[in-house]
Amino acid sequence: MTDGHTQHHWEYSMFPFILALGVFLGVPLAFASFFQYGSGLAGAVFGLAGLLLIVIGIAGWTSEGLAENSENGYALTGLPIFIVSETMIFLSLFVSYWMLRLTAAQWPPEGTPHIGVGMPIFMTIVLVSSSITYHFGEEKLDAGDNSGFKFWLQVSIGLGLLFLGCTLYEYNHLIHEGFTFGTNAKSTAFYAITGFHATHVLLGLGIFVSVLIPALSGKTNRTFTGAAGLYWHFVDIVWFFVVSQIYFW
Amino acid sequence: MKEWIFTTDHKRVGILYLIGSMAAFAVAGLLAMAIRFELTWVGPTLIEADTYNVFLYFHGAAMILGFLIPGLTGFMANYLLPMMIGAHDVAFPRLNALSVWLYWFGIVLALLTFVVPDPPDIMWTGYAPYSTQYSSGNLSFYVFTVHLIGFSSLLGAVNFLCTVIYMRAPGMGWNQINFFVWTILGAFVIQLIFVPVLATAVTLLLLDKYLGTSFFVPSAGGDVLLYENLFWFYSHPAVYVILLPAVGALMEIISTMSKNPIFNYRVAVYGGVWGVVLLGSDVWAHHLYTSGMVDWVRIGMMVTTLIISVPVGLITISLVFTLYKGAIRFNTGMYYAASCLYLILIGGLTGIPLAMSSLTLHLGETYFVMAHFHFIMGMLATFALFASVYHWFPKMTGRMYNEKVGKAGFWLNFIGVNLTFYPLFIIGVEGMPRRYFDYEMFPQFQGSQQLATVGAILVAAGIAVMLINWIYSAISGEKAPNNNPWESASLEWTATASPPGPGNFPQPPEVSADWTPYDYQPRTAS
Ligand SMILES: [Cu+2]
Repeated sequence: MTDGHTQHHWEYSMFPFILALGVFLGVPLAFASFFQYGSGLAGAVFGLAGLLLIVIGIAGWTSEGLAENSENGYALTGLPIFIVSETMIFLSLFVSYWMLRLTAAQWPPEGTPHIGVGMPIFMTIVLVSSSITYHFGEEKLDAGDNSGFKFWLQVSIGLGLLFLGCTLYEYNHLIHEGFTFGTNAKSTAFYAITGFHATHVLLGLGIFVSVLIPALSGKTNRTFTGAAGLYWHFVDIVWFFVVSQIYFW
Repeated sequence: MKEWIFTTDHKRVGILYLIGSMAAFAVAGLLAMAIRFELTWVGPTLIEADTYNVFLYFHGAAMILGFLIPGLTGFMANYLLPMMIGAHDVAFPRLNALSVWLYWFGIVLALLTFVVPDPPDIMWTGYAPYSTQYSSGNLSFYVFTVHLIGFSSLLGAVNFLCTVIYMRAPGMGWNQINFFVWTILGAFVIQLIFVPVLATAVTLLLLDKYLGTSFFVPSAGGDVLLYENLFWFYSHPAVYVILLPAVGALMEIISTMSKNPIFNYRVAVYGGVWGVVLLGSDVWAHHLYTSGMVDWVRIGMMVTTLIISVPVGLITISLVFTLYKGAIRFNTGMYYAASCLYLILIGGLTGIPLAMSSLTLHLGETYFVMAHFHFIMGMLATFALFASVYHWFPKMTGRMYNEKVGKAGFWLNFIGVNLTFYPLFIIGVEGMPRRYFDYEMFPQFQGSQQLATVGAILVAAGIAVMLINWIYSAISGEKAPNNNPWESASLEWTATASPPGPGNFPQPPEVSADWTPYDYQPRTAS
């Protein structure tokens, strides 16, 4: 996609199609097979095929984008625009939570175990640190130090994984205490909101990995790394709202 | 072939959107015919009651999510917007290709409705608790169809906002861009802010049904009205996602065909388009007047719903007065555009009683509501899309459509829709309830139902004639006499070939400070 001057041939790329196909197989078809039709096998087949296509799509897309080496910086405007809609998702979730909570006769409703605040405080520290370490990485990159960038990026990914590990640990603990999705209105809101946030952390980690892999062979794009950082900071900020609304209120 | 399937060119992506949306229109239209035939006689006649419910679901979902929104934003924005602002493509061409294929797979997923043993039967609204607790239909297909098409639209919003911000031709100021571009910006701002709310609402349905949460389970502390509020918080503004590009395109067509600059351009942009965007977010509860809410919300939303006729009125004034003293050329596109002025009047006026909460107690859930929104969505927006395909047909294909056949199709469509929906307005006021499969308790309405069916047959014939005209003319129509057969002043006509090649412009255009896309002979001062 050349900028500015006239083109003489039709541009095309197969990777958006592959990615869309992967999403189609890996999400709706896998989910419906598993949950609506009770077929774990079909669900696994669709899920794995979809995942494979998604990985191929993203890898191919990233390498095409890096090869063009265009630095028009549009993505640094596009991403904040996208974040507006992400914000609306979380806002709708919080509004749903407030509706449940403010109309409830008793809060927390019966059957809610004690949910400690030690874990969320630790998780906050982890996530904030990961934002800071990524920022260190970006500074290294601007100073031309590619290996420093890779180091801090890997640290950030490690902290992100630690965060997800904490989430799983906490879920496991609460489910053992009999606090599952369907227990009551509190569990509904708790798992929906923290789970949604965790999937965003996972998505952010996916973006980090697709920055890291080309960076290992020395290829980086400043627009792309900047956008990845912006997304990660957004996920970090949302976490403050999650903690204050779910754990401390 | 691979240059089409894997294309990242905005014009080809636009054509893919057009093909997808016309396919959705065709399937949903055939279902409408089946529904209409079923209702022609009292009593069960043609299809089972369960099938009828599935058809109602698919007709609504496919017409709105599969045809109208992608047709008026995906197709129209993709094909026209970059050329109107003098850009060689959109800001993120690959993301654009991802958008169109997510949309296509959304349609494929919706079509699986007819393959699976347990199709969704939950209307296009998917209200809980029916959808989550009582229906055995495959809710997940509904939810993921919304997700795929919604996400596709969000990516489109990011793409087109960046495109207009960064890629306007050098020298093109904000008050020089086409009115249509403004309406696309308004539509995508609405999509960006409100689609996530719908996506969340249907996701909560999914969690409730498959993972056992209780957002919409009153016995466990949930709230079914929460779903209705979240759903209509998006789905009322969605009307403007459809309406704005429709009136935007009409403005371009009317200005070009009457060789007049747009009347009150700035008022229509800043008051009309942005007024609609601002007010459109504060009216959703008029869909819930009878579901229950405190009075101050009901009255507040009644007032905002009535006030929104002001910005819509500003746009309508510009549409009508742009014709004033114009040298109007009535071709098929202009036939459709002119009929839209009448449709916006009837559709708008019948909305006013529905805005009044006291009248809605009577009119709500009757054929009156159904006829009203079909005038706006099924006719105004749809006719605007048809007008646009005719108007930009020489641009897209380099060939002319057949004018006689086009006008014949127009009259079939126009007479047909009026014959269909006027009787339905009347029996709606008389109390015919919406959605009923059988109306054995209201046999007196059979005559009106039969008139409506005759009208629907005319429309089906009109659509068939139109599609044949498009396809035949695109392949072997007369060659367009030049690149700009309507003598438009807008960049997509003046600075590109018909059809445009890769990169659109042989020379990247630049415009001067006094350039406008409506540079026609101004009205003589009188
Ligand atoms: Cu509404």
